[in-house]
Amino acid sequence: MAALDIQNVKKTFGNVDVLKGINLSIKDGEFLILVGPSGCGKSTLMNSIAGLEEVTSGDICIGGGAVTHLPPKDRDIAMVFQSYALYPSMSVRDNIAFALEIRKVPKAERMAEVERVADLLQISHLLDRKPSQLSGGQRQRVAMGRALARQPKIYLFDEPLSNLDAKLRVEMRTEIKKLHQRLKTTIVYVTHDQIEAMTLADRIAVMKDGIVQQFGTPQEIYDNPANMFVAGFMGSPAMNFLRCELTCGDGRYAVRATTRDGREYALPLVHADSRLQSWVGREVVLGIRPELITHVIPHKADADSVARFSARVEVAEPTGPDTLVLVELNGQEVDCRVDPREQAPVGTDMEFMVDMSKAVLFDPETEQRLL
Amino acid sequence: MAELTLNKPRFTLGRVFVYATLLVGVLFYLMPLLVMLLTSFKSMDDIRSGNLLALPDVFLFDAWIKAWSSACTGVACEGVKGYFWNSILITVPAVLISTFLGALNGYVLTKWKFRGSDLFFGLMLFGCFIPFQVVILPMAQTLGWMGLANTIPGLVFVHIVYGMSFTTLFFRNFYVAVPTELINAARIDGAGFFTIFWRIILPLSGPIFVVCIIWQFTQVWNDFLFGVVYSGGDTKPITVALNNLVNTSTGVKEYNVDMAAAMIAALPTLVVYVLAGKYFVRGLTAGAVKG
Repeated sequence: MAALDIQNVKKTFGNVDVLKGINLSIKDGEFLILVGPSGCGKSTLMNSIAGLEEVTSGDICIGGGAVTHLPPKDRDIAMVFQSYALYPSMSVRDNIAFALEIRKVPKAERMAEVERVADLLQISHLLDRKPSQLSGGQRQRVAMGRALARQPKIYLFDEPLSNLDAKLRVEMRTEIKKLHQRLKTTIVYVTHDQIEAMTLADRIAVMKDGIVQQFGTPQEIYDNPANMFVAGFMGSPAMNFLRCELTCGDGRYAVRATTRDGREYALPLVHADSRLQSWVGREVVLGIRPELITHVIPHKADADSVARFSARVEVAEPTGPDTLVLVELNGQEVDCRVDPREQAPVGTDMEFMVDMSKAVLFDPETEQRLL
Repeated sequence: MAELTLNKPRFTLGRVFVYATLLVGVLFYLMPLLVMLLTSFKSMDDIRSGNLLALPDVFLFDAWIKAWSSACTGVACEGVKGYFWNSILITVPAVLISTFLGALNGYVLTKWKFRGSDLFFGLMLFGCFIPFQVVILPMAQTLGWMGLANTIPGLVFVHIVYGMSFTTLFFRNFYVAVPTELINAARIDGAGFFTIFWRIILPLSGPIFVVCIIWQFTQVWNDFLFGVVYSGGDTKPITVALNNLVNTSTGVKEYNVDMAAAMIAALPTLVVYVLAGKYFVRGLTAGAVKG
């Protein structure tokens, strides 16, 4: 039984299509993340699941039952808002108990539930305060507490961490992950932060222009992006896109890369087969993540999928554990991730190795995956 | 260092000029009040012999007592107390009802928008710009049809209708700044239209209620035109009674009684301003400063 089933959902505002036929399905207890740049329709989709906005067509089912045309209160959902939306005139206790009160839960039960949630989120000492007397992180917890108090079928999180400062955001991210592992609840979570998406999700739906570009596990999306948008959106620093010519000799496919001083290298495509034949001699886009281009690591350098090249270090950006080195191939900038101790000084040549086993190819016109 | 010099009061020529101007302004506006108060405590002899700004020889409350309970307003000579009570009976319900309706309107126009709600608000605003005189005849006809002509409920009705444009404007502009996510959160929590209004929206509305109540109280209490047109013999508000009292031309003109009656008529609005004035300014600027 699917906890949430979204079938061909469309939403139109005037003559703008915000959602153009969304299909998503997750199982009970899964953590779904909707991620995408602003304006991609992820918040509209979230509001449609919540019932705050009516969809133009399509169906939404929660726990097997159709809720497409039900008002929010009959959908058995709870939501955490970006601005927390705590009721300013009520104490934290009343905020958490409000939904239960509306649903006519007896007072004793209500208070017990508030205590349980407050324990869970470690906010027992804040119960008698007003929201205005809380810090950002505390408000965030209370907002989650309000959602948790009702034990609904689905929790909706609308960019819950984006109003927190960087350090707190990472802490709360871990807390949410722990909470999910403990409670095994179904969560739909909207964010524009791809790191949040990678770290929290069981499944990610990457959205753009009202279309789900790819729907899969975080690792699938990271390793096997469906198109250049997904590839470029997920991962930081972003995947390198290198326009280059596809070559073929003895049935072995490769792409050609030329450094600034004219040295030419063939980067082998180990998974390529004859389906690529029509692309030989034409320009393709090679997608390769920065961590796959490193300084030469001796025991790895001899694998079939590994190629070596040397190029001049143009810019070096130390991040601590690694240093990001910018080189130029085919007249385009390429990010490489090297050990800080192995980095050659800026302006000098350095030897790199590329692990092509996870390289992907895209059609430069349609931006769709070729390999 | 710069702060120190900035904070130190300096008596420059400009400063002196500013304070002098303010002082003149204050005196200018206080003068009539002072004259009224002084005159109301004088005897008629005192008024005739002394000058306007002189203190009374003896402070007498006779004029106040007469204005309240025995001065003639036309044929009847029972003072203004009955009319004062009329004004309260008109003002209190008119203010409360129009403010409450304004709150409800503002809530709907910002948080439960419907097709054409912006146009609706625009038309409603139009009511703020219609002069009283324009509606006198149609309203008289309407009150007649409703069987409310010459009655206090009739006057209450007129003031509610006329005040609603203003109260709606106030509340609408206040509620625009209330985040809609609050309403969405409450909807998901299961609250309906009125529950959200009572439990979430009204508790936030203190400042704007004060603004509305002061504004409406002043408007309704001070109204003369509607009062004189739509009231009957026994249902006149105090503004009309005051006019009658001052214009009753039998015997000597009793300035002290006139002044005392005028003070009585003006007191309630003064009291409201003094008690709630600081909330008034706070409420007017509430939406402006917060994001």
